[in-house]
Amino acid sequence: MKFNEAAVFKWVLIFAVAGGSAIGLALLAGGLVGALYGLVLAIVGCVYGYRWTREWWRGLKGPEDRPDDSDSSS
Amino acid sequence: MESASIPLPHGAGGHAAEHEHHGPPEANQSSRIDRQTLGILLFIISEVMLFGSFFASYFFLRVVVNPESWPPHPFELPVAVAGMNTAILVSSSFTIHYALEAIRRGNKTGMKLGLVLTWLLGLTFLFVQINEYVHLGFSDRTEAFGTIFYSLTGLHGAHVFIGLCLLTAATLRAFRGHFSKEPEKHLGVEVPGIYWHFVDIMWIVVFFTVYIL
Repeated sequence: MKFNEAAVFKWVLIFAVAGGSAIGLALLAGGLVGALYGLVLAIVGCVYGYRWTREWWRGLKGPEDRPDDSDSSS
Repeated sequence: MESASIPLPHGAGGHAAEHEHHGPPEANQSSRIDRQTLGILLFIISEVMLFGSFFASYFFLRVVVNPESWPPHPFELPVAVAGMNTAILVSSSFTIHYALEAIRRGNKTGMKLGLVLTWLLGLTFLFVQINEYVHLGFSDRTEAFGTIFYSLTGLHGAHVFIGLCLLTAATLRAFRGHFSKEPEKHLGVEVPGIYWHFVDIMWIVVFFTVYIL
């Protein structure tokens, strides 16, 4: 999993769809319903974002990235 | 003019003098992410916190202070104009993504087109925002509502302005032929692109919060 422009662009699409649905619901059913729906989306997004970031970070730190111990002995 | 050679300390010269590299040694990189991308990621995390504090103020004023109506009578927010502006900014994310995809394929013309379009869309967004400010009918001193409205949208507008400056630099460099398809050779487009997407995402949240709710 990479952190690059393409990955962030996917987040733009996710936010656009989520924001669009929240805007539509708020206009149709009222501000309070839209706010609660937006809150649920924000919580789900935070959990998903946290898990995505954790997985991404684990993917970055492979064994080959660890510093070589043989250099520190000299 | 010849460049001055700096004598290396005993034991550090030898092979090092044969290399092409000048200046200080390359910094150690302990992860697979390049430092520019990591830098913009950390910067965005700090920006999320900054926006979070402004949203906290907004919801405090709106929910805890609980005025009779929001926006306070007789003020109204131009939702349609802001909605059009949202569409403009979301479109600009597509154009910058197109620019990045173009340079990844080695298409420099496509990259330049995407960058110029993104820049124009960003500038349009900013002009529409300023025009909106002029015709709103209230100022930042009009109750707490006016203050938080201008603070939130103004904070975002400042980010759009910074993004435009970054895009200007990227566009100028693109026209000078600084970028190519290798991943490390177009970071000057990729990093502003990530920032621009962040600005776009923040606007979707600001628009929903300020104009719709």
